[in-house]
Amino acid sequence: MMLPRGGDPVIVQNMTGRYGRLHTKLMLDYGTNVAAGAAPGKGGESVEGVPVYDTVAEAVAKTKARASVCFVPAEFTLAAGVEALDAGIELLVIITEHVPIRDELKLVQLAQAKGATIIGPNCPGIIVPSEKVKLGIMPAPSFSPGKVALYSRSGTLTYEIAGELTASGHGQSVAVGIGGDPINGSTPIQWMDFVQGMEETDAVVVVGEIGGDAEERLARHIEKSGYKKPIVGYIAGRHAPKEKKMGHAGAIIYGDYGTADSKIRALTAAGVKVAKTPMDVPRLVREALG
Amino acid sequence: MRLYEYQAKSLFKEYGLSVPKSILVHDLEGVRGAFASLAPPVAVKSQVLAGGRGKAGGIALVDDPSKAEHEAARIFALPIGGEKPASLLLEEGYPHEREMYLSVTLDRGERSYVAIAAAAGGVEVESMKGKVIRKVPVGGIDAGFAAEMASELKLPPGESSQFVKILLSLERLAREKECELTEINPLAVGKDGTLMPLDAKVIVDDNALFRHPEFAKLHPEDEFEGEASRQGFAFVRLDGDIAVVGNGAGLVLSTLDLVGDAGGEPACFLDLGGGAQQDRVEAAIRLVNRLPGASRILVNIYGGITRSTDVAAGIRAVISGGGLKPLYARVSGAEEEEARQMLAGTAVKMYKTAPEAVAAVVKGA
Repeated sequence: MMLPRGGDPVIVQNMTGRYGRLHTKLMLDYGTNVAAGAAPGKGGESVEGVPVYDTVAEAVAKTKARASVCFVPAEFTLAAGVEALDAGIELLVIITEHVPIRDELKLVQLAQAKGATIIGPNCPGIIVPSEKVKLGIMPAPSFSPGKVALYSRSGTLTYEIAGELTASGHGQSVAVGIGGDPINGSTPIQWMDFVQGMEETDAVVVVGEIGGDAEERLARHIEKSGYKKPIVGYIAGRHAPKEKKMGHAGAIIYGDYGTADSKIRALTAAGVKVAKTPMDVPRLVREALG
Repeated sequence: MRLYEYQAKSLFKEYGLSVPKSILVHDLEGVRGAFASLAPPVAVKSQVLAGGRGKAGGIALVDDPSKAEHEAARIFALPIGGEKPASLLLEEGYPHEREMYLSVTLDRGERSYVAIAAAAGGVEVESMKGKVIRKVPVGGIDAGFAAEMASELKLPPGESSQFVKILLSLERLAREKECELTEINPLAVGKDGTLMPLDAKVIVDDNALFRHPEFAKLHPEDEFEGEASRQGFAFVRLDGDIAVVGNGAGLVLSTLDLVGDAGGEPACFLDLGGGAQQDRVEAAIRLVNRLPGASRILVNIYGGITRSTDVAAGIRAVISGGGLKPLYARVSGAEEEEARQMLAGTAVKMYKTAPEAVAAVVKGA
């Protein structure tokens, strides 16, 4: 795990695409040091004054970047991810939605072998407000510096809850969208353990949704590891139907597997205060901080 | 994408897995002829996607043609999980002594595919006793892997060699066709010791469909779901009367919860996706406005990348076309005030927070 720091050079993959262009500008505006772009066949162009290279390897050689934000379409995400990891990228943020599961598994294995961290796919990225750095697509005004770590399987819910926290005076030490797919490059448990060691973090907010058993696993981990920092949770999808993919590829209930009730029960039993609505999160954070 | 049993079984055959002889019928007229060409007893099986068909009465075992017609008529009319079957599978019964379980499936928590097998099957894999679970490498398995599983299951030699072949085929199918799940439940053990898959469940990874055009035309699409998917919206039809539209899957999901908690019933889930512009907002609202059963519309937009003024312009474009159902909107974020002004003087009701908008749309005020 590694957190981006202010001033660290960052690469944008597929910088010359519609989203790559837009978010290169928005990341620069926020303060991220977007140092280079990579896009096959587009070497020599520039976006917002940032030079574009044909390959990640060239961009890394020129900038010494260790982090990349990937906007490459799903069909080519596996190849782009492999290219980035092979070029020495240690923090790879994959924004792309609709990446096939088997491609995600291959990327996860390669990242593990190289000791690199993947955030996503199908995620808004990571933001560290105190460092004025974001690697991703989140709207800056929702976030403010502070001591609450926030991570979530959903993009807009992250913004909504960060906005609620910001409005009530609880800034964020870090906010991570781990992704809405069945396979996440980094898991809730990994982030939980990471923020436990962060001095700047006094409380953790975990935003989950229906599908899979990430929250149940997290609950067992919290109990087993004797987690020290207060945790507030929110789970979306209490009224979701079964056997239907609710927008995210990972948000689906099969039988009794993946229901919101099961997650809320498991987290509550592990001592997590679970909010009924996103609007209720700041109150629980305030109470948890005493 | 989940396949129907008959589609999954035709994939099984393609991968060298034997299944009982069967005939697919689309109407009652076809039943008698199909029955005549099968050896009784014959199972009449509802072709629906929902689980728990047996329990719901969607499967009947018959041994004469008039009974077959009678049961087929009943099953054609029987909705399971809200879905009536468009076809029935008539399949030769397979007399057997024991039922096993076998699947190759994605274990999300372990971030790996796994093979799961049990020598004595059951309805629910979760509660099966003595099941064996092994991680499947991304590159596939070999006969040694399958033989070790067979030995952990303590299968007799005759069954073991068949099991190895079946598992190898099933794993190859799961890998090559990029399935989230391939499942045989039950895998029957016949009186002569022959292993035979009696049911087949296959779920293909939707995100991998671009590599598998062979699946593209397998499902008849609901008119609205078809149009939503062409527009690139995530859309699910529901039973209630409040159409719910928003940007971001999690946000729309949490909006459904707010509506449900307030006593309302959503007519659909529609996620516009990030960075939605005027034309997409307009297309989404036009789509849900036509949805039968939806009497009013709730729009919940958290503006970040999405500009509130784009949303307002999209709504205005629908209003100018006429016939817009009552619309309740919460639009927050960049350019919120301008968006509010753009919709002032229209019938659209604007709210500052999601709970306020939800309370109003549920009341129908």
